[in-house]
Parts: sequence; structure tokens; C-alpha cells
Amino acid sequence: MVTPDQSDWVVNVQNFHKRYRKQIAVEGVSFAIQKGEIYGLIGPDGAGKSSLMKAISGILTYDSGSVEVFGTLISSEVSAESVKGRIGFMPQGLGQNLYGELSVEENIDFFAQLREVSPEQLISRKRKLLAMTRLDKFTDRPMKLLSGGMKQKLGLVCTLIHEPELIILDEPTTGVDPVSRRDFWAILTALLREQNIAALVSTAYMDEATRFQQLSLMYAGKVIAAGEPSQIIANVPGTLVELVAHPQAAALSQLKPIFQQVEAVGALLRVFAEGREEAAAIKQITSLLSDQELSSIHASKPEMEDAFIALLNQAHLTESDTAPAINTHKESEVDASKKDELAIEADNLCRDFGNFRAVDHVSFQVKQGEIFGLLGANGAGKSTVFKMLTGILRPTGGEGKVAGQDMLRATQAIKERIGYMSQAFSLYQDMTVLENIRLYARIYAVPRQQLKQRVDWVIATAGLQGVETRLAGALPMGIRQRLALGCALVHKPTVLFLDEPTSGVDPLGRRRFWDILIQMARVEQVAILVTTHYMSEAEHCDHLALMYAGRIIADATPAQMKKALVEAAGELLEISTDKPLLALKLIEQAGYEQAALFGKKIHLLAKAPQLVRQQIEPLLTANQVVLHSIAPHPPSLEDVFVHQVMTHESEAEQP
Amino acid sequence: MKINRVKTLAVKEWREILRDRLFLSLAFVVPISMMLVFGYGIKMDVENIPFAVLDQDRSAMSRDYLHQFIDSRYFDYQGDVENEDEIDNLIAGSKIRFAIIVPPKFQETLLSGRPIAVQSLIDGTFPFRTSTSKGYVAAINNAFNTQLLTAYISQKMGVTAEQAAAFMSPIKIQLRYLYNQELRSIWSIAPAMMMFILLMTPPFLTALGIVREKENGSIYNIYSSTVTRGEFLMGKLFPYVVISCINVVILWLIAIFAFGAPFKGDPVFFFIASVIYVTCTTGIGLLVSLFSKTQVSAMMLTVVVTIVPAVLYSGLLVPIASMDAASQFEAHLFPAMYYTDIALGSFLKGIGVEELWTRVAALLLYTIILWVISYNLFHKRVKA
Repeated sequence: MVTPDQSDWVVNVQNFHKRYRKQIAVEGVSFAIQKGEIYGLIGPDGAGKSSLMKAISGILTYDSGSVEVFGTLISSEVSAESVKGRIGFMPQGLGQNLYGELSVEENIDFFAQLREVSPEQLISRKRKLLAMTRLDKFTDRPMKLLSGGMKQKLGLVCTLIHEPELIILDEPTTGVDPVSRRDFWAILTALLREQNIAALVSTAYMDEATRFQQLSLMYAGKVIAAGEPSQIIANVPGTLVELVAHPQAAALSQLKPIFQQVEAVGALLRVFAEGREEAAAIKQITSLLSDQELSSIHASKPEMEDAFIALLNQAHLTESDTAPAINTHKESEVDASKKDELAIEADNLCRDFGNFRAVDHVSFQVKQGEIFGLLGANGAGKSTVFKMLTGILRPTGGEGKVAGQDMLRATQAIKERIGYMSQAFSLYQDMTVLENIRLYARIYAVPRQQLKQRVDWVIATAGLQGVETRLAGALPMGIRQRLALGCALVHKPTVLFLDEPTSGVDPLGRRRFWDILIQMARVEQVAILVTTHYMSEAEHCDHLALMYAGRIIADATPAQMKKALVEAAGELLEISTDKPLLALKLIEQAGYEQAALFGKKIHLLAKAPQLVRQQIEPLLTANQVVLHSIAPHPPSLEDVFVHQVMTHESEAEQP
Repeated sequence: MKINRVKTLAVKEWREILRDRLFLSLAFVVPISMMLVFGYGIKMDVENIPFAVLDQDRSAMSRDYLHQFIDSRYFDYQGDVENEDEIDNLIAGSKIRFAIIVPPKFQETLLSGRPIAVQSLIDGTFPFRTSTSKGYVAAINNAFNTQLLTAYISQKMGVTAEQAAAFMSPIKIQLRYLYNQELRSIWSIAPAMMMFILLMTPPFLTALGIVREKENGSIYNIYSSTVTRGEFLMGKLFPYVVISCINVVILWLIAIFAFGAPFKGDPVFFFIASVIYVTCTTGIGLLVSLFSKTQVSAMMLTVVVTIVPAVLYSGLLVPIASMDAASQFEAHLFPAMYYTDIALGSFLKGIGVEELWTRVAALLLYTIILWVISYNLFHKRVKA
């Protein structure tokens, strides 16, 4: 590796420490960012990302170490002021730093005037940025009425209006729908290419890691690993084995004691065999599961999330809380006839709010024991469907059955049979874990003689042993979510509704949460309906329905959806070159407008993969770009989502 | 200091206030309704006390005696009752607040030269009203006694009623109330309410306006930009001072036209002094905002630092001069007292800059100190 010339360093952080009173936020972090680079800080909530970014932006003091920005040591308010003109900082939170009462244009103008952008420059930059973000149709709309993704794009426009040389973005994609996320990255890439700036971006999504050229994986104030994404993954040797095993829950409990990372992703079992070669890994797993029906065994390199968790395990940084128990004994007890029973039937559900149709003829079915995901951007109508099915909101038209009961008539009976966990933290923070569970048990009228047994069951199932007497508000995010889930399960519901259940939870916490859901679905035959923004979470579902503008535009299993994408839009190709920015520009000019930069690689969808190579190779060579490889890449659900929504958007635009 | 950036900040703030209904009502509706509610509510005058009589004598003299009450403007005659139980019910039901019982043989006893007790029952729920009522009853009773005595003397000594009266009370007090001739409490309360409201609402608005930005994170736009501290404070607070100045005028109009308070002083002087006062109280809000992280805590802190001095150390309830030395000293530490003097002086006494300039100077000094402290406490690179 070539040591970069020091003069190219935009940011240089050495041995950084930050404390809030006694709470250590960041402990001994060092990294440097060069010009033309998107540097990533990846880690769950509370990893110390925000503190670092604020200190680099010159708006937060630090305790020791050094922060240099554009060669200036940021050590006082005066030195910080001297570089602020060249920095653009966007704090965390969807549009939180914008002014809700002001229109899109007024917000931009405010930021521009604050930064003393001349009126002529403002006009041209505003036009360009509004077009890039596709916000140009909404300039008069008050910011508070924009969708989450639009708010975030406006935030980006406001941060970029003074053309900073260093952009610092704190979790810009959290809670943003995949289409806006794609837009967001596209804008950032374009700027990087045009202006040779540097960007520091934080995220809690592991699957965004490939977007960065360089990154630091952070956890609890420390950097666990740093470098290029592929390098970090390469440093964690091992093989990721995916397979279908039947029965799944039994296989899961057999593998759990042997491998640190085993999870059920829809019908697949996903096992990370650390330190093992492909053949050895497959051999070990198949011999362990010799009494099971196995199929579709596939081995590959691990992903960032696997690497992250493996690194945490190596550093002994994982939470020492008890993992939820997987209990398979009951499987035989479940009445087999129940398996194909329908738990939820939605039949042409409609809901109007005034003239606005929020839900438009939505139909789907969920079987007992199935995990069904409802995907969609903000405002797509997911929550309205939820509210109608749980009996909170009356539909304008259509009908449905939940847990065998008519949705229109038997709302009370339905409420007794379902569990509901909302996005907002619905527990009583000032009560202990045990008190919360007991309260929910009483609210749901669990009979007195069963109370103790149910409470014990919740504690065991949700892995809450050892924290029973702690206050709910004092628990880490991951454990709190499990408590909320446990409370929703206390009355043995046959249908479970989960609204964005794991936003803000770290990957490990999220996996443990899903372990419980898998057990509930596979062993207890509970039907689970879940809404989510996380594409990686959507992968866990057995079946998905994609909502757009109140309608379901796709309804299939994740695998079917990916297959349909390949059939409709072609194969996903990953192109690796030595000059990715220039290559991207050339590829776009060649007519592949949807090509996107992922770190140093370019992704594009092509119906005729052979043609792509023929077309691109001479083009790149002519421009002195070395083509390393063009290889097919398995599409992600994000690719599916983006493609589906874009297709429908362009259809909607055409009369 | 770049005036364009100050303007940018001020315009943005102004738009936000105008478009946010909650904030706009906090800015104007709250001060106006406070003025109206308190102005009509804190009426200290006790008049038209509803009362009933039980006349067990039914003689010419008892009727005469009772008419002293019935004809008084302080009492509002509700009728005769038949027995004492009825009185109990009426008082318990708040239909009347005072009852008078004339015993049997009232006339006979008095004419025979013996004293007799008349029972009066007063609702003691509100001590202030009760003691005032009691004063009225005693005064009317005294007047009747004097009348009887005068009649007796004039009869015994063979002089005219006037001579007898002069003989009975040789010294008469001649009273003239200055500044508030009719002793209408609203005349004094209206200016005092201006002091109270203009002490409370500007800091509320200011503190919420700044802390709101801290709470939702938009303060980071300021921290991370090249705007100077001075520009930010000027631009951010200018709209709040303007709002308070508009409120000065609105409240002044309410005091004069709705409450009929006289304004004898110089309006220009009063307005300038009021602008200084609201700039000062806006500074209190600024200071509060520097110590609060959430809007709730900013509200609590504002209540504590404004209501206590406004009620206790402003001269609103207790005149400063009748406080003990320590309290008087404390009163001088808060701006409320100075403005109370300015407001009362301008409204009722008709005095102006010659008499009140020291008060204005005190407010100005106070303002400068608050703003300088706040400027030095406000940082764009924070610790947490």
C-alpha cells in the first residue's frame, strides 16, 4: 500500500478521546481521510460516531488526542472557526436540522445566505442540486410535509450549497427508504467526481459498508477494524454457508452451540464457519445435520455484518447478556393441521382519508407459522394496513380475517388473539423488566394461575435472565426491544404484528431478536406480520409484499423477487476498475444510467451481460482505465425494491 | 458583524414564528389573555356584596336600621328571609355572603335605653373579602349609632340636629386620594400587569425559541457555520424583541381602553423605557436557554426566575418600602421593581424622565450585564 502524501490529508485524527462526565464516548481512535474519498464510520447506536464527527466539524470539544482538518489543529473555538467555512456538516435525524415551517426553497436560501453564497452562485447551484435530488417540483412545499427521504435529500442540498471541501454526514441514510438512499449515494458520488472533495459518512447499516472506499468499524467508542471494506472482510477468514434444512428450528438449535454465528434467514440457514475453507465448512455442517433434509447448500465469502460480529467476538466485546433460548421440544406438540391455516386474510382493503386513498385494494394472505414482511417507503400505506388489521381503524372498503375472526365485526376477539409491538418504545421506562411483563400480562387478562408460568416463559424466551429487576429505561437498546417483544407475546397470541421492530439496534441485537421470531414462527406456529425499512431484515421474511402508493406492487418470496428482477431487468454485474469514478462516468455515457458506485466497484443491471463487456471494455481502454473484472453479483432486496419502485414511478408519470 | 447574516437569521426566525400556530399564539394570544384574565380577575374592590336580612322585630326602627345596609352601594340586597335555617342555606349555597339578624324587641330595647346585639353572619371563605365586609358592616352600624345619639342629644339639649352632629364629632377627616381618586384597584393593577406579563412572556418565548433549536439539532447549523456568536444572538433575538414591543403597545391599549386606566405620563418616554425592559427580559430568556437542554426544562427554569421576582419583589403585592431590609435589597436585584415604578409613574402620577431616569438607567445596566454574560457563555464549540 502506498502511504498517502500528508498534504492530501483532509482530516487527520490521532488517539482521540472524548468523555461525557464519567461516560466514555470515544477511546483512542485514529484515522485519516484523503481528498476524493468517502470515508465511512460504521457502528451501532452509541458507538461514538457522532462525537467524532462533531469534533471534526469543530463543534464539540474533546479530551485528548488531536484532530487536524485541512492541516489546522482544531484545539479551540478560534481554530475551529477558521475551517468551518470549508466544511459542511449534517447532523443526525431525518431533517431535524431543517426548519419545518419554511419551504424547501426558503430552507436552501437560508443556508446559502448563512454561508454567504452570492445570489448568482445560489441560483445556479440551487437549480443543479434540486434537479439532482428531484426536489425541483416541491420548492414551495413546507419542509415538514416532505417524506423522510425527501427531507434527508433537502438536508444534503442545504449542507452542500456552499460547496464545502469536506462533507460530514451523520447517519444520513438511517430511516430513509431504499430509493432515496440510492439517490443519496448517487448525489454524493457525483459530487465526489466533480469537485474532488472528501466525505465522512456514518451509518448503522452494515450493508452500506461497500459504499465506502475506506472505513472504520466502531463499537463502544473503539475502532474494531479499519481499511478498505474488502480488506476488512478478508481479514476475517472463514466461509459463509447457506443451506435449506428441514425442520429448520431443530437444525438451528443443533448448530448454535458449535458456531458463533448461525441465523435463519427466511427459509435459509446462514452459518458463518470462522476460519474454515469452503469444503471443510460444508463438510462439517452436513455431518452435524446428518439427520436432516438438506438442500441448496451454497458457500461464499462472509459479508460485513458477519465480519463485524466475528471481530466483536474476537475482541470479547459482545454483550454478556443471555442469548434467547431456542426451544424445540414443543414442535411435536403443535397440531400439524394448524400449519396451513390462514392467520391473516386481507381482501381488497381500502382506506381513504378525505380525497386521499392511503390504501388501495390491498389483498394478501399470511399462514400460521409464516413470517410476512410488508415493505415500503414512508407513506406507502404500511401503517394504515396495520391499523385496519388490528382493528384500530375501520376500512373504507374490503374485508379481512385475522386469527380466524372477521376484522369488521369481531375486533375485540381479534385484540385478544394478537400481539402488537410498535415502532415507538411502548414500555414503561420507570418500571422494572418484571413489572412491565406482569403489567402486560394483566392488561391482556392472563389468568392468575397461569401468570407465573407465562412471566417465566417470557423471561426465558426473550433472554431476559439476569435483568429482571433492572429498569426498562436503563437497558441497552437490543434488550429493550426483546422485552417489548416478550410483552407482546405474554398472552400467547397466534398472530404477531411488528412495526419497524429493530430500527437502531446493533447487528448482534438484531440477530438475537430474529432468533426469537424464528422460534415463534417455526415452533409455536405464530404468524408474524412485520413492517421494515431494513432490506437486510426483509431477507429474513418467508414472504414479502412490496407496497407503493397504497398498493401492493409485488408479492412473493425474497428468492422469487430476486429471480423476477433478473428476468425483468437483467443480471446484476459488478465491475471492478482502477479508476472507478472515471469508469462510472464512461459507463453512464454509454447508456447505463442506473449504474451506481459501491465503494470502488460499479454495479449495473444488464439484460445482455455479454454485450456489456463488449461495449465497455474498449471504452475504458480508450480512456486509460484498467478493467479488472466484470462478474455477476447476486442482487439484494434493495436492488429489487429500487427497481420495482422506479418502474412504478415512471409508469405513474406516463399518462 | 455582517448585517446580511443577521438579517438572514432574523427573517428565518420571523417566518418560523409566524407560521407556527403554537408559537404565534404563545407570542400574542398568551400575553393578551393574561392581561384580560388577570385584569378582570384580580379586582381588589369589594362591592355589591349579596346579603339577606332576617327582621324579627318588624318595627319602624329595625326597618330604618336595615335600610342603612340596603341603600349602601357596597351591599346588594337579596331579600328578607323567614328563619335562620334559610340564612344557613343561602350562605352555604353562595347565594349571599352576608346576613344580618335583627332580634325581637329591637326598638323596644333601644328606646328603653338599653344596648342590644344585632347578629351579622359573614362568609369567611376569602379572608380579604371578609375583613373588608366586616369593615363596611361596622362603619354602617357606627353611623346608625351616631344618628341615634345625635337625635338623643338634639332632643335633650334642645339644639338642632346639625349642632348636635357637630358636637358629636368635632374633628372630621377630609380625605383626598392622589393619583387614583376613586381608589379603583384596576388603575394600579393594569400597569402592574404590564410589568408582570412583560417580565414573563419574552423570556418564555426566547428560551423556547433557542432551546427548540438545541432540541431538534438545528443549532448545529449555527455551530458548524461561519456565523459569529454576536450575529447569531442579534439575528435570533431581534424578532423576539420586536414581538415584545408590539405586545407593549397592545397591553398599553388594553390598560387604557379596556380597563379605563388613565395615562398621565409621556407615551414616548414610556415606550422607550418599555423597549429597554423587554430587551432586558428577553436577555433573561437567553440566559435561561444557555442552561437548558430541553424545552420543558427551559419552561420550568423561566417560571422560577421570572414569577418569583414578578410576584414577590416587584411591588405588585407588597410595596417595596414596607419590606424588611433584606427583601428590599433583593427587590433591587430584579428588574421588575424598576419597571413597576416606571409604569405606575407614567400611568398614574404623570411623571417622566426627570423623576424616573435612574430606573431606566438601572434597567439598561441590567440589560447590558445579561447580554454580556450570555454572549460570553454562548459557544459554538460545546462540551457535550
